[in-house]
Amino acid sequence: MTRRILLGVGILLTVGLSLFPFLWFVVTSLKTQKEVEAIPPTWWPSGSLDFYQSALVDHHLTDYILNSVLVAGSTTLLALGIGIPAAYALARLRLPGKVWILGALLSISMFPQLAIAGPVWQILERIGGLNTRWGLLLPYVTLTLPLAIWILASFFKELPAELEEAARVDGCGPWQTMIRVMVPLAAPAIFTAAILTFIYAWNEFFFALLILTQPERQTLPVGIALFQGEFTMPWGELAAASVIATLPLVILVVLFQRWIVSGLSAGAVKG
Amino acid sequence: MRGPLLLAAGILLGSLTASSQETLGAKSATHESTTVLRFVSWKPDNPHAWDEALARFTEAYPRIRVVREIAPHSSTAFHDLLTQKLKNHDPTVDLFLMDVVWVSEFAAAGWALPLDSLFPPSERIQFLPNTIEAGSYQGQVYGVPLRIDSGMLYYRADLLRKYGFEPPQTWEELARQADIIVEGEAPTDPGLRGYSGQFKQYEGLVCNMLEFIGSRGGQLISQDGRQPALATPESLASVRFVRDHIIRRLASRAVLTYQEPESLAVFVQGKAVFHRNWPYAWEVANNAERSAIAGKVGIAPLPRFPGGPSVAALGGWLYGISAYSQHQNEAWQFISFFSSHEMQKFFAIKEALAPSRTALYSDQDVLKAAPQFRDQFAVFQAATPRPRTPVYPAVSHILQRYFSRALAFADVDLEAEATSADRQINRLLRLTGESF
Amino acid sequence: MTSRAPLEHQAAWWMLAPALAFTLVFALYPVVDSFFLSLHRIFLGVPALGQPFVGFENYQTMAGDPVARQAFLVTIGFVLVSTALELVLGLGIALVIHEHFSGRGWVRVAALIPWSIPTVVASQMWRFIFNDQYGLANLLLFGERVEEYIPWLAYPGFAFAAIVFADVWKTSSFAGLLILAGLQVIPEEVYDAARIDGATTWQRFWKITLPLLKPALLLALLFRTMDAFRVFDLVFVMTQGGPGDSTLVLQFYGYKALFAEGRMGYGAAISVTVFLAIFVLSLFYIRGIGSRLLEKEPA
Repeated sequence: MTRRILLGVGILLTVGLSLFPFLWFVVTSLKTQKEVEAIPPTWWPSGSLDFYQSALVDHHLTDYILNSVLVAGSTTLLALGIGIPAAYALARLRLPGKVWILGALLSISMFPQLAIAGPVWQILERIGGLNTRWGLLLPYVTLTLPLAIWILASFFKELPAELEEAARVDGCGPWQTMIRVMVPLAAPAIFTAAILTFIYAWNEFFFALLILTQPERQTLPVGIALFQGEFTMPWGELAAASVIATLPLVILVVLFQRWIVSGLSAGAVKG
Repeated sequence: MRGPLLLAAGILLGSLTASSQETLGAKSATHESTTVLRFVSWKPDNPHAWDEALARFTEAYPRIRVVREIAPHSSTAFHDLLTQKLKNHDPTVDLFLMDVVWVSEFAAAGWALPLDSLFPPSERIQFLPNTIEAGSYQGQVYGVPLRIDSGMLYYRADLLRKYGFEPPQTWEELARQADIIVEGEAPTDPGLRGYSGQFKQYEGLVCNMLEFIGSRGGQLISQDGRQPALATPESLASVRFVRDHIIRRLASRAVLTYQEPESLAVFVQGKAVFHRNWPYAWEVANNAERSAIAGKVGIAPLPRFPGGPSVAALGGWLYGISAYSQHQNEAWQFISFFSSHEMQKFFAIKEALAPSRTALYSDQDVLKAAPQFRDQFAVFQAATPRPRTPVYPAVSHILQRYFSRALAFADVDLEAEATSADRQINRLLRLTGESF
Repeated sequence: MTSRAPLEHQAAWWMLAPALAFTLVFALYPVVDSFFLSLHRIFLGVPALGQPFVGFENYQTMAGDPVARQAFLVTIGFVLVSTALELVLGLGIALVIHEHFSGRGWVRVAALIPWSIPTVVASQMWRFIFNDQYGLANLLLFGERVEEYIPWLAYPGFAFAAIVFADVWKTSSFAGLLILAGLQVIPEEVYDAARIDGATTWQRFWKITLPLLKPALLLALLFRTMDAFRVFDLVFVMTQGGPGDSTLVLQFYGYKALFAEGRMGYGAAISVTVFLAIFVLSLFYIRGIGSRLLEKEPA
């Protein structure tokens, strides 16, 4: 009995604390300027969509969204394109010292952005990658590779060896075996890695702030962090912009929570 | 199955490198010879006047299309963004606004174009000398003053009148008046506070504190950059006054998170008796659409401490040209148009921006539209610059930290903090071979 | 079998090559280069000074720099408090989600939402919640009593608490998921045996769940510590390090030195220090986790 009550309280707290703060932003985004400036604040919005219009049009949110889609989408594609063969090689092929290679790759995920920011910036300066979206892609791919490789390698390792053997008998080389046999089987893991990579790139701020200084090329986090008004802090527009920036992620989470959970916990299970 | 996916990937990757100029949304360029000038500025407080001024410019120079890029309002954030662009050698930046304190850095780093040949001495003498001085570094001029800014005291004229007060001459007098007014108004207006200013840990804090310290005869950095300046009796007493009387008594503690917009918002909501801000606030506070106290606002020089001078921080913005711009001639045409007598007069009349051209302070049209300039002229002429050094950003950070710690913490050892800040600043100046 | 090995090696290297290239160029080389930079005195704003080699001068400066010390303390404090809270809350979330009940999927979705929200958005959200006039925190605590409203971010202690709060809100569910994975591999039979022995729920939790969860908890600790050490977005948006440096964390201080003040050498020294701190910490943790695994698998 106490267990049931405890569980009930736990559920309520988990759901309540997770959603309530953001709901306040949702409520704010639906207010009018007068309601936002009311002191004490009002609980219920009048349901106005003015702030959404103003955020999208006056604050150029559409540009930011487009950039975020481009950058996050490309990061995902590239990280997977590079990560899949790497993970396959590390999980299935014989290679001396591959434990060390894996360790080295994974340790990248622990690097503080600051430790590499200055030199990365200088490299991009030399190759003309500053202020371009492809320039941003390079550190993003580097930083998302460890997680992608980890998820994929963990999965590849679990696949039965027989299929691979069969392919070999049929005369397939390592590349063909990977592409024809293993990649289709690994679809769930690839999908998981894709979602997590996408979310990382969608949310990243530090490098985006350094590398993209031209407003038309900036991504959503930069746009939202530097959000400003003409004369007071435009909380209503900011709330609307935040809701818009978060929406794709909420949709991903609702649709694919199972994959996300399995991806995030892959590390913990495999230990 | 793989075909369409690859195609999608190709499109996605391809579009990354595509130019985004078409999204700029201004009138499309009809002539091939049209030059696009990219101008980094803040979002103006008076967008309509700027739009009109730009329209006039376009009329005069139809071949130049100006694209404004809006940087953050806060000077600190603006600085970080703009210098990032200049370090990136961003060729799409042609001209920009410079805060007066950035000139040494921009000049020494080679980011700003020297303007000596374009902006001859015969032109320069028509501007207020301290604004030209602010735009120069080691004998060369890098910026053309767009206007002059200096700290001003705004007050609720209606309330002062009601209680029979004249605008305060000293800070103590200000504190006394504010106490009496706030207490007297409490029954009907419990939210009213005595003072509102800018005390967040950012550049504006340095300006506010410079005024308090200077008005007791103190300085932020000693004359030669070797002696203590903050750990002096005058300076310490001023900081103590701000902490004990402004922050703890007169103002809401929230001022420790306020920059100009937030502090002005409190004043125009009618929730502060006194307010420190730049000249632009006059227009906002008297604009009935934005302000609950339109027509009830007074303006005066900032108070002083007994025996000290009234000190107003010299702020203000200068036009500068990027050393990496490919359109430097067009950029100069823009600057000379916008800093002309005619355009400054336009901004002075339309938006009460304080001109940087001396002659406009005796122009009858200007004085009719903005009579406050008559009294402010003396303040502008005497406005005090902040320290001038290429490492100013680092110096400013040390000052910001010291002031913010001094004001935010209750039990801080003020003298030790001041000594430490002095030592850090002097060490930095020694390291970079700077002397004053 | 053996005749295929060279071919396989070759293919394996080609498969790894792009990933290794990225890692070398954009992660390993930069770290080495940061170290190299940190041995020089470079002021971007004073090119006339050149870029002299100064040995460990920047590190000496840092050791005597009260601001660096403050940033170090704030960062350590942030790491300790936030990871501790996140582990406790994460454990709670994991225990709840691990139970079987209808609508469990939706609870999981709810728990994941803070994790998925961009940190910048979460920061603006909490900044608004702690606003002195329009904030939810004041509305909840004081309602109509406007005169009691507190400017939270103007108090050093509250400002620090606010960034901890925002971080805990944002990442507890991530810790929870890592812990959940640990919960799921504990076999039911262990509990059944304990039940037969008459152990209460409470005893089962302390005697079985917690010890068996140690690897997962350590892993969550590892990930959260590394991440908390790198905190930047929250501070950038919510406080810019103030008031009075009370929320000045190392990554923000280093960012300021490198990219706002143009002190490239000194900024690099800070970044190398952060890197080394994380590196040493992770070695400790990995050692801890590794030995745990060895205990479990007597091979």
